Amino acid sequence: MIKVTPLLALLIFPGGLFLLNIGMFYEWIDRKLVARFQNRIGPRWFQPLADTIKLLAKEEIIPEKVHAGLFTFLPVFGMAGALASALYVPLAGFAPSYSFSGDLIVVLYLLSMMTLCLGLAGSNTVNRFSLVGATRTLTQLFSYEAPFMLALLGPAILTQSWQISEINFFAQDNIWILVTQPIGFLVALIGLMGKLELPPFDAPEAETEIVSGALTEYSGRGLALFHVGKDIELVIGLTLVSAFYLGGLANPLEFVLKTLGLLVVMALLQSLFARLRIDQTVGLWWRLGALLALIQLLVVLVF
Amino acid sequence: MTTNKTNKFTVPIGPQHPALKEPGHFEFTVDGEIVTGATARLGYVHRGIEKATESRNWIQDVYILERICGICSHVHAMAFAQGVEMLANVEIPPRARAIRTLIAELERIHSHMLWAGVAAHEGGFDTLFMYIWRDRETVMELLEMLTGNRVNYSANVLGGVKFDVQQDQIDEIRKGMDKLEERSRYYLEIVTTDETFLGRTRSIGIMDKKDAAVLGAVGPTARASGVERDVRVDVPYAYYPDFPTVSITDNAGDLEARFVVRMKEVLESVRLIREILDHLPEGDLAVRVPRRIPEGQVISRVEAPRGELFYYIESNGTDTPERVKVRTPTLPNWGSVLALAVGHKLADMPMILVGIDPCFSCNDRMVHITNNKNNDQVWSWEQLRQYGIEYYK
Repeated sequence: MIKVTPLLALLIFPGGLFLLNIGMFYEWIDRKLVARFQNRIGPRWFQPLADTIKLLAKEEIIPEKVHAGLFTFLPVFGMAGALASALYVPLAGFAPSYSFSGDLIVVLYLLSMMTLCLGLAGSNTVNRFSLVGATRTLTQLFSYEAPFMLALLGPAILTQSWQISEINFFAQDNIWILVTQPIGFLVALIGLMGKLELPPFDAPEAETEIVSGALTEYSGRGLALFHVGKDIELVIGLTLVSAFYLGGLANPLEFVLKTLGLLVVMALLQSLFARLRIDQTVGLWWRLGALLALIQLLVVLVF
Repeated sequence: MTTNKTNKFTVPIGPQHPALKEPGHFEFTVDGEIVTGATARLGYVHRGIEKATESRNWIQDVYILERICGICSHVHAMAFAQGVEMLANVEIPPRARAIRTLIAELERIHSHMLWAGVAAHEGGFDTLFMYIWRDRETVMELLEMLTGNRVNYSANVLGGVKFDVQQDQIDEIRKGMDKLEERSRYYLEIVTTDETFLGRTRSIGIMDKKDAAVLGAVGPTARASGVERDVRVDVPYAYYPDFPTVSITDNAGDLEARFVVRMKEVLESVRLIREILDHLPEGDLAVRVPRRIPEGQVISRVEAPRGELFYYIESNGTDTPERVKVRTPTLPNWGSVLALAVGHKLADMPMILVGIDPCFSCNDRMVHITNNKNNDQVWSWEQLRQYGIEYYK
């Protein structure tokens, strides 16, 4: 039994199957909500799943002049990073499968791997849209990453631990950190949107300018893996932010309510604004985001 | 990214690209995100309509010319009909003039709202796009109610119009106008106050009055730069002499001004439509126009939603025209796009491109060179074939 559990954790829950399904389900909720806010009907509930299956069944075209190995394995690495990070977060309100002191940093790095892979995948090809997209993806990575990290450090410092499960327990026992650190929450939420390249931070994949950004040359399996990887990142990001700022995740019901509540806010923010140019995004994060996060940290440290 | 003078990094937009609703090809030379050069290549959607008119009779031509543009179809038929009526020396009844103007103004509302939605989409503001297009349905339904069609209304015949406007239809139009006025005011407020949207439009693509005049911009593009160029005001036609419209200008010359001018023009059209409905003259809808049009040449100009639409019509006295030349407003506006692009960011390109409300298929023409001696741009079939063999060797 002892030997079966790690395998289960990797393949069924919380990694693997569960994560893939909930990722696609959350993507659907996000798309549906944005559609309703925009006065559209929106997709049917199985649309993300159908898209994934269709893409997996299609031929993957490897373009000329790319490093074929990198081209094939970057989506796998990106998705693996996102999947691995799930093992350390309190997914569905259960205790994380693995936990050690300092796993917060590991999770943040694993989540960045996805973006890094995206940037590499774009710069691997000779497609000009991909190159511009990759440049923008990496530029955006450098702009939101620091404020996002600082925003997640706030609760960590309050708990005096770098362990996600301990921060989760701390958040459950105390008043919602959202109340005591509102600025940090805001930066974390918007940082998450930047990480996921959701509007208005979708300059790296702005379809009216650079078609599909770094993913322009991807088709079939690679594209499907990148998309699913993003969905997983969405779920993990929501889990992290709600575990830290919304009073922790003690049980599945709390998980569903809190992450979905957060998703509604995110969908609303997505439909409220026009796309920011990449220079505006960088300006916003370094002039405003980083500053706010630092002020929040100072407040936490002083009191 | 390597960017030096010998190794230029160019980003192609088109012929197929999500930013373009029709095929056209643009190449932007970029230095990082800054555009340092722009070229355009048009002609992917040439349809040969001008030539086609010469093998059809005058009445059939009204319908084929209406199909030049899928957005401003009515003004094409109107410009042609006006020209032919001038040639035939026919005076059309006042009620026909009023109805032509009424539909032209309804069409202007629909075209401007369509543009505003597309432009918002190019700027990544899809919510605004969806909302504007939802409200645009109001005017589409009014046009359908009046003429039976949503796109090619076929309201014109030579010598007048086909459709009358009934009292219950007038009531419907009034109701629709109330809604459109309210919504347009709201969108005018949005495009002038929304912070993120202003970040994409204010002080972007500024074209001053002098440039606009020199580059020969027309329509709302010119008026947003403070150039008062409006055929409806300068040379009133149809019902505009009786009910003059106000030329709306803005001196800012940036993308925001183009939004403001177009939204204000929608409001002006609403006012004009109400006024026309209040004073709709009684009488016939059409007069007879002879099947053979007397010999002669004529120039007919109207103000399409995108700017001045120019028709040159030549008749040789038979039942088919000798020559019909159409110059759509997109053509004179292209110059402004290429001039404006340099120095802006790549991210602004789609909005600057769309800022003039381009209609590619309307302006594509073919040039036929008759004197091909000593001209290295003219190749014979044998030369072309040889080039193809060499190219794919």
